[in-house]
Amino acid sequence: MKNSHITLKLLILIIANDIGDSIAQLFLKKGFLVGGMSSVGFADIGEFVSRNIGSPWVWLGLFIYMMNFFIWILILYRVDLSIAMPVSSTSYMIIPFLAIFFLHEHVSPIRWAGIILIAAGIYFVLKSPKVKKAGALR
Amino acid sequence: MTMWKIILLIILAEVWNTAGHIFFKKSANRFGTHDFGSFKGWLKFMGDVYSSPLIWLGFVSMVAGMAIWVLALANADLSFVFPMGSLQYIFIIFASYIFLGEKIDRMKFVGTLLVVLGIVLIGVS
Repeated sequence: MKNSHITLKLLILIIANDIGDSIAQLFLKKGFLVGGMSSVGFADIGEFVSRNIGSPWVWLGLFIYMMNFFIWILILYRVDLSIAMPVSSTSYMIIPFLAIFFLHEHVSPIRWAGIILIAAGIYFVLKSPKVKKAGALR
Repeated sequence: MTMWKIILLIILAEVWNTAGHIFFKKSANRFGTHDFGSFKGWLKFMGDVYSSPLIWLGFVSMVAGMAIWVLALANADLSFVFPMGSLQYIFIIFASYIFLGEKIDRMKFVGTLLVVLGIVLIGVS
Protein backbone atom coordinates (compact mmCIF):
# COMPACT_ATOMS: atom_id res chain seq x y z
CA MET A 1 0.00 0.00 0.00
CA LYS A 2 2.23 2.82 1.23
CA ASN A 3 5.78 3.00 0.06
CA SER A 4 8.17 4.26 2.65
CA HIS A 5 10.82 4.83 0.01
CA ILE A 6 10.83 7.60 -2.50
CA THR A 7 10.81 7.51 -6.29
CA LEU A 8 12.29 10.14 -8.59
CA LYS A 9 8.77 11.22 -9.54
CA LEU A 10 7.88 11.81 -5.89
CA LEU A 11 11.14 13.64 -5.28
CA ILE A 12 10.35 16.00 -8.16
CA LEU A 13 6.83 16.46 -6.78
CA ILE A 14 8.20 17.42 -3.35
CA ILE A 15 10.64 19.92 -4.86
CA ALA A 16 7.92 21.36 -7.12
CA ASN A 17 5.65 21.68 -4.09
CA ASP A 18 8.39 23.49 -2.22
CA ILE A 19 9.12 25.87 -5.11
CA GLY A 20 5.37 26.49 -5.43
CA ASP A 21 5.33 27.50 -1.78
CA SER A 22 8.08 30.06 -2.34
CA ILE A 23 6.33 31.45 -5.43
CA ALA A 24 3.05 31.75 -3.53
CA GLN A 25 4.83 33.68 -0.78
CA LEU A 26 6.43 35.93 -3.38
CA PHE A 27 3.02 36.68 -4.94
CA LEU A 28 1.48 37.39 -1.55
CA LYS A 29 4.35 39.70 -0.65
CA LYS A 30 4.03 41.49 -3.99
CA GLY A 31 0.30 41.90 -3.46
CA PHE A 32 0.80 43.24 0.05
CA LEU A 33 3.44 45.71 -1.20
CA VAL A 34 1.03 47.01 -3.85
CA GLY A 35 -1.60 47.19 -1.09
CA GLY A 36 0.79 49.53 0.66
CA MET A 37 0.76 48.57 4.32
CA SER A 38 4.26 47.83 5.45
CA SER A 39 3.57 47.03 9.08
CA VAL A 40 0.43 45.53 10.47
CA GLY A 41 -0.60 45.40 14.09
CA PHE A 42 -3.47 43.30 15.31
CA ALA A 43 -5.71 46.36 15.39
CA ASP A 44 -5.22 46.91 11.64
CA ILE A 45 -6.38 43.48 10.49
CA GLY A 46 -9.67 44.81 9.14
CA GLU A 47 -7.99 47.46 7.02
CA PHE A 48 -5.31 45.02 5.92
CA VAL A 49 -7.90 42.59 4.60
CA SER A 50 -9.98 45.26 2.86
CA ARG A 51 -6.90 46.69 1.15
CA ASN A 52 -5.72 43.34 -0.19
CA ILE A 53 -8.88 41.39 -0.88
CA GLY A 54 -9.09 42.80 -4.41
CA SER A 55 -5.48 42.08 -5.33
CA PRO A 56 -4.98 39.53 -8.13
CA TRP A 57 -1.48 38.83 -6.74
CA VAL A 58 -2.93 37.85 -3.40
CA TRP A 59 -5.55 35.60 -4.99
CA LEU A 60 -2.91 34.01 -7.21
CA GLY A 61 -0.80 33.33 -4.13
CA LEU A 62 -3.73 31.83 -2.24
CA PHE A 63 -4.65 29.70 -5.26
CA ILE A 64 -1.13 28.26 -5.46
CA TYR A 65 -1.26 27.60 -1.71
CA MET A 66 -4.47 25.64 -2.17
CA MET A 67 -3.09 23.57 -5.05
CA ASN A 68 0.07 23.01 -3.03
CA PHE A 69 -1.87 21.73 -0.07
CA PHE A 70 -3.49 19.14 -2.32
CA ILE A 71 -0.11 18.09 -3.74
CA TRP A 72 1.30 17.82 -0.20
CA ILE A 73 -1.50 15.40 0.76
CA LEU A 74 -0.75 13.45 -2.42
CA ILE A 75 2.90 13.27 -1.36
CA LEU A 76 1.96 12.14 2.16
CA TYR A 77 -0.25 9.47 0.59
CA ARG A 78 2.87 7.90 -0.88
CA VAL A 79 5.79 8.84 1.39
CA ASP A 80 6.56 8.71 5.11
CA LEU A 81 6.17 12.10 6.81
CA SER A 82 9.62 11.68 8.35
CA ILE A 83 11.06 11.53 4.81
CA ALA A 84 8.85 14.07 3.04
CA MET A 85 9.38 16.75 5.66
CA PRO A 86 13.19 17.02 5.66
CA VAL A 87 13.27 16.69 1.87
CA SER A 88 10.85 19.61 1.59
CA SER A 89 13.57 21.88 2.94
CA THR A 90 15.02 22.16 -0.57
CA SER A 91 13.78 25.76 -0.84
CA TYR A 92 16.34 26.81 1.75
CA MET A 93 18.92 25.72 -0.85
CA ILE A 94 17.11 26.66 -4.04
CA ILE A 95 16.42 30.27 -3.11
CA PRO A 96 20.04 31.17 -2.28
CA PHE A 97 21.07 29.44 -5.53
CA LEU A 98 18.58 31.52 -7.52
CA ALA A 99 19.89 34.62 -5.77
CA ILE A 100 23.44 33.72 -6.76
CA PHE A 101 22.82 32.92 -10.42
CA PHE A 102 20.09 35.38 -11.32
CA LEU A 103 20.66 38.26 -8.96
CA HIS A 104 24.44 37.79 -8.62
CA GLU A 105 24.14 38.21 -4.89
CA HIS A 106 27.14 37.62 -2.73
CA VAL A 107 26.81 34.56 -0.53
CA SER A 108 28.83 34.44 2.67
CA PRO A 109 30.91 31.36 3.54
CA ILE A 110 28.59 30.63 6.50
CA ARG A 111 25.61 30.60 4.16
CA TRP A 112 27.47 28.27 1.78
CA ALA A 113 28.14 25.97 4.72
CA GLY A 114 24.43 26.02 5.55
CA ILE A 115 23.47 25.16 1.96
CA ILE A 116 25.95 22.28 1.88
CA LEU A 117 24.71 20.93 5.24
CA ILE A 118 21.10 20.96 4.03
CA ALA A 119 22.08 19.20 0.80
CA ALA A 120 23.99 16.56 2.77
CA GLY A 121 21.08 16.15 5.18
CA ILE A 122 18.57 15.60 2.36
CA TYR A 123 20.94 13.12 0.75
CA PHE A 124 21.18 11.17 4.01
CA VAL A 125 17.42 11.12 4.46
CA LEU A 126 16.89 9.96 0.87
CA LYS A 127 19.53 7.28 1.26
CA SER A 128 18.17 5.84 4.50
CA PRO A 129 15.35 3.54 3.28
CA LYS A 130 17.46 2.01 0.52
CA VAL A 131 20.27 1.29 2.94
CA LYS A 132 17.79 -0.25 5.33
CA LYS A 133 16.45 -2.46 2.56
CA ALA A 134 19.92 -3.77 1.78
CA GLY A 135 20.29 -4.62 5.43
CA ALA A 136 23.51 -2.69 5.79
CA LEU A 137 22.23 -0.53 8.62
CA ARG A 138 19.84 -1.41 11.37
CA MET B 1 7.68 40.35 25.61
CA THR B 2 10.50 38.47 27.27
CA MET B 3 12.80 36.10 25.42
CA TRP B 4 11.35 33.10 27.23
CA LYS B 5 7.82 34.03 26.32
CA ILE B 6 8.80 34.26 22.67
CA ILE B 7 10.57 30.90 22.77
CA LEU B 8 7.48 29.41 24.40
CA LEU B 9 5.29 30.90 21.64
CA ILE B 10 7.53 29.48 18.92
CA ILE B 11 7.48 26.02 20.48
CA LEU B 12 3.70 26.23 20.88
CA ALA B 13 3.34 27.21 17.22
CA GLU B 14 5.55 24.29 16.21
CA VAL B 15 3.59 21.81 18.30
CA TRP B 16 0.35 22.88 16.56
CA ASN B 17 2.02 22.75 13.18
CA THR B 18 3.43 19.30 13.87
CA ALA B 19 0.00 18.11 15.01
CA GLY B 20 -1.41 19.40 11.72
CA HIS B 21 1.07 17.37 9.68
CA ILE B 22 0.40 14.27 11.80
CA PHE B 23 -3.35 14.63 11.18
CA PHE B 24 -2.72 15.06 7.43
CA LYS B 25 -0.52 11.99 7.31
CA LYS B 26 -2.89 9.90 9.44
CA SER B 27 -5.68 10.80 7.07
CA ALA B 28 -3.58 10.06 3.98
CA ASN B 29 -2.68 6.65 5.42
CA ARG B 30 -6.37 5.77 5.54
CA PHE B 31 -7.11 6.58 1.90
CA GLY B 32 -7.90 3.54 -0.20
CA THR B 33 -6.07 2.72 -3.40
CA HIS B 34 -6.51 5.25 -6.16
CA ASP B 35 -6.21 5.02 -9.90
CA PHE B 36 -4.32 8.16 -10.83
CA GLY B 37 -4.40 7.19 -14.50
CA SER B 38 -7.93 8.47 -14.94
CA PHE B 39 -9.66 11.78 -14.30
CA LYS B 40 -12.28 9.94 -12.29
CA GLY B 41 -9.55 8.56 -10.04
CA TRP B 42 -8.29 12.10 -9.37
CA LEU B 43 -11.79 13.30 -8.56
CA LYS B 44 -12.23 10.40 -6.16
CA PHE B 45 -8.95 11.28 -4.48
CA MET B 46 -10.01 14.92 -4.14
CA GLY B 47 -13.29 13.79 -2.65
CA ASP B 48 -11.41 11.62 -0.15
CA VAL B 49 -9.20 14.55 0.84
CA TYR B 50 -11.93 17.10 1.38
CA SER B 51 -14.38 14.75 3.09
CA SER B 52 -11.85 13.56 5.67
CA PRO B 53 -12.42 14.92 9.20
CA LEU B 54 -8.74 14.36 9.99
CA ILE B 55 -7.77 16.68 7.13
CA TRP B 56 -10.02 19.40 8.53
CA LEU B 57 -8.63 18.80 12.02
CA GLY B 58 -5.18 19.23 10.48
CA PHE B 59 -6.31 22.49 8.87
CA VAL B 60 -7.49 23.86 12.23
CA SER B 61 -4.18 22.89 13.87
CA MET B 62 -2.22 24.55 11.07
CA VAL B 63 -4.21 27.78 11.36
CA ALA B 64 -3.72 27.82 15.14
CA GLY B 65 0.01 27.25 14.65
CA MET B 66 0.22 30.00 12.05
CA ALA B 67 -1.60 32.51 14.28
CA ILE B 68 0.80 31.85 17.17
CA TRP B 69 3.74 32.01 14.74
CA VAL B 70 2.66 35.45 13.52
CA LEU B 71 2.32 36.58 17.13
CA ALA B 72 5.91 35.47 17.79
CA LEU B 73 7.12 37.15 14.59
CA ALA B 74 5.43 40.40 15.56
CA ASN B 75 7.37 40.47 18.83
CA ALA B 76 10.81 39.26 17.80
CA ASP B 77 13.40 39.62 15.06
CA LEU B 78 13.06 37.35 12.05
CA SER B 79 16.75 36.55 12.47
CA PHE B 80 15.86 34.89 15.76
CA VAL B 81 12.53 33.30 14.80
CA PHE B 82 13.74 31.89 11.48
CA PRO B 83 16.47 29.58 12.86
CA MET B 84 14.17 28.54 15.71
CA GLY B 85 11.66 27.49 13.05
CA SER B 86 13.97 24.70 11.95
CA LEU B 87 13.24 22.91 15.25
CA GLN B 88 10.02 21.92 13.47
CA TYR B 89 11.94 19.19 11.67
CA ILE B 90 13.00 17.62 14.96
CA PHE B 91 9.45 17.78 16.31
CA ILE B 92 8.20 16.09 13.13
CA ILE B 93 10.69 13.25 13.23
CA PHE B 94 9.85 12.39 16.86
CA ALA B 95 6.12 12.78 16.28
CA SER B 96 6.17 10.53 13.21
CA TYR B 97 7.93 7.88 15.27
CA ILE B 98 5.54 8.14 18.21
CA PHE B 99 2.20 8.78 16.51
CA LEU B 100 2.65 7.25 13.06
CA GLY B 101 5.00 4.40 13.87
CA GLU B 102 7.41 5.41 11.13
CA LYS B 103 10.87 3.92 11.27
CA ILE B 104 13.60 6.38 12.15
CA ASP B 105 17.00 4.94 11.39
CA ARG B 106 20.36 6.54 11.99
CA MET B 107 20.67 7.95 8.46
CA LYS B 108 17.29 9.67 8.66
CA PHE B 109 18.01 11.09 12.09
CA VAL B 110 21.46 12.40 11.18
CA GLY B 111 20.13 13.74 7.87
CA THR B 112 17.38 15.68 9.66
CA LEU B 113 19.88 17.09 12.16
CA LEU B 114 22.09 18.26 9.27
CA VAL B 115 19.11 20.00 7.65
CA VAL B 116 18.31 21.77 10.94
CA LEU B 117 21.93 22.82 11.38
CA GLY B 118 22.04 24.08 7.80
CA ILE B 119 18.93 26.22 8.28
CA VAL B 120 20.35 27.66 11.51
CA LEU B 121 23.57 28.59 9.68
CA ILE B 122 21.62 30.26 6.87
CA GLY B 123 19.58 32.08 9.49
CA VAL B 124 22.55 33.55 11.31
CA SER B 125 24.58 34.37 8.19
